[in-house]
Amino acid sequence: MAGLELLSDQGYRVDGRRAGELRKIQARMGVFAQADGSAYIEQGNTKALAVVYGPHEIRGSRARALPDRALVNCQYSSATFSTGERKRRPHGDRKSCEMGLQLRQTFEAAILTQLHPRSQIDIYVQVLQADGGTYAACVNAATLAVLDAGIPMRDFVCACSAGFVDGTALADLSHVEEAAGGPQLALALLPASGQIALLEMDARLHEDHLERVLEAAAQAARDVHTLLDRVVRQHRAELRGGHRLVLGAGFPAADPAHLHVGERHGLHHGGGAVCGRRPCPGFCPGLRRPPQEVGGSASGLA
Amino acid sequence: MAAGFKTVEPLEYYRRFLKENCRPDGRELGEFRTTTVNIGSISTADGSALVKLGNTTVICGVKAEFAAPSTDAPDKGYVVPNVDLPPLCSSRFRSGPPGEEAQVASQFIADVIENSQIIQKEDLCISPGKLVWVLYCDLICLDYDGNILDACTFALLAALKNVQLPEVTINEETALAEVNLKKKSYLNIRTHPVATSFAVFDDTLLIVDPTGEEEHLATGTLTIVMDEEGKLCCLHKPGMFPPLQS
Repeated sequence: MAGLELLSDQGYRVDGRRAGELRKIQARMGVFAQADGSAYIEQGNTKALAVVYGPHEIRGSRARALPDRALVNCQYSSATFSTGERKRRPHGDRKSCEMGLQLRQTFEAAILTQLHPRSQIDIYVQVLQADGGTYAACVNAATLAVLDAGIPMRDFVCACSAGFVDGTALADLSHVEEAAGGPQLALALLPASGQIALLEMDARLHEDHLERVLEAAAQAARDVHTLLDRVVRQHRAELRGGHRLVLGAGFPAADPAHLHVGERHGLHHGGGAVCGRRPCPGFCPGLRRPPQEVGGSASGLA
Repeated sequence: MAAGFKTVEPLEYYRRFLKENCRPDGRELGEFRTTTVNIGSISTADGSALVKLGNTTVICGVKAEFAAPSTDAPDKGYVVPNVDLPPLCSSRFRSGPPGEEAQVASQFIADVIENSQIIQKEDLCISPGKLVWVLYCDLICLDYDGNILDACTFALLAALKNVQLPEVTINEETALAEVNLKKKSYLNIRTHPVATSFAVFDDTLLIVDPTGEEEHLATGTLTIVMDEEGKLCCLHKPGMFPPLQS
């Protein structure tokens, strides 16, 4: 793209970041009452939310049930108003199906599906605003949502995108950088063991550069892990702080092997008779905010 | 103990509360849930709003595009609403084409826009017979806990108030539209319709702003849309058994 310098001479990108710098990430767990687990994440201007139902009985044909493990069903949907040009089909088109499949493959690797045979875990991801790195934002949101639902996982799944411009590897691409047409790599990593859950790259990249781009993406994913870990601990502190809730056994100390967090928030709201307090101050972040919020970087969910 | 009774006899459990003129979540019969609204958070949309009515969460995004007007109304633009109830908002919805409830809600919102005249379609005209604005209003329910119609109407109104359209001039020589993104103006919102939903219990009791469970246990629901001048815009009473006495 003539005229738009993705990397300036001083090493600054279009939005002022350095080559390996991530965009600002804000995340929130337990945002919805109906779902078993939910999370909302903002990575720069990309806003995604993930909702988990399960593990529950298999929907539809029983023949699909796997006798030794759970079925993971992922669906990706991006709102029609999420991109600059209005998207005609929010779901069901090829790109959404491909994303859904990639998410499923990623999470089948991370969730301990052997613990829930013959059942189904649904992960729904909705992108509200897309500004590059949608796969990464979806994976990060889904990780938090699965943790919020209390489904055991091997480890966090942290994802980030990376690109290559002028001999430098860039981490966490924004839409402008993605649209420039250079090589893009999407990486989903299990940080503790360093195992890769999913690696995808399209566009041409010389094999000599692959190592560097992969390392940039991996480092960025590890940075994301630090952040997500902090979000989870903060959420747990909030849960412990104000409410009489039963927290899952094996509560995370520093044990990455089994991460059990959270309790069904649905009990707290829909039933109402459980806490008898109204309005419930702790959970729904929307209730804590003043009634009218104009503009701001976060939507009412965060 | 209460939870057990609630599972076995949900209607009786509810009646016990209704007898005391209150509801399980502590509200009065005529009390709304806490409502919060967040406007303008989606920057890719021309206008957006997120509304939370208790747990029910609806987000509305408005995108404006150019279109050619129809021949029988050459100076009228279009407002196209669409309500999406995806499987993520509740486990009762399946993925696939829009179900009955989503289609009914979409039609309801279209009726409200039409009847209440929130926007004069003539305001959306750029060049009569050649170019008009079409506003695609997409409402996505993120969390379903009853009273979806109220939340959708509110989100739509808030999003429309947030929409800013750039100034468009038709170049005389080339007959092409020139968009000036620097000069944006808000839409002219003429009325402010507000929807109120009721659930009818045992054919006698009327409760306001039903939650998901209450809607399920009620004998019927009723939605009324009024604007600030006290004019009735829409009345939605989808069936009931036995029929309500007038």
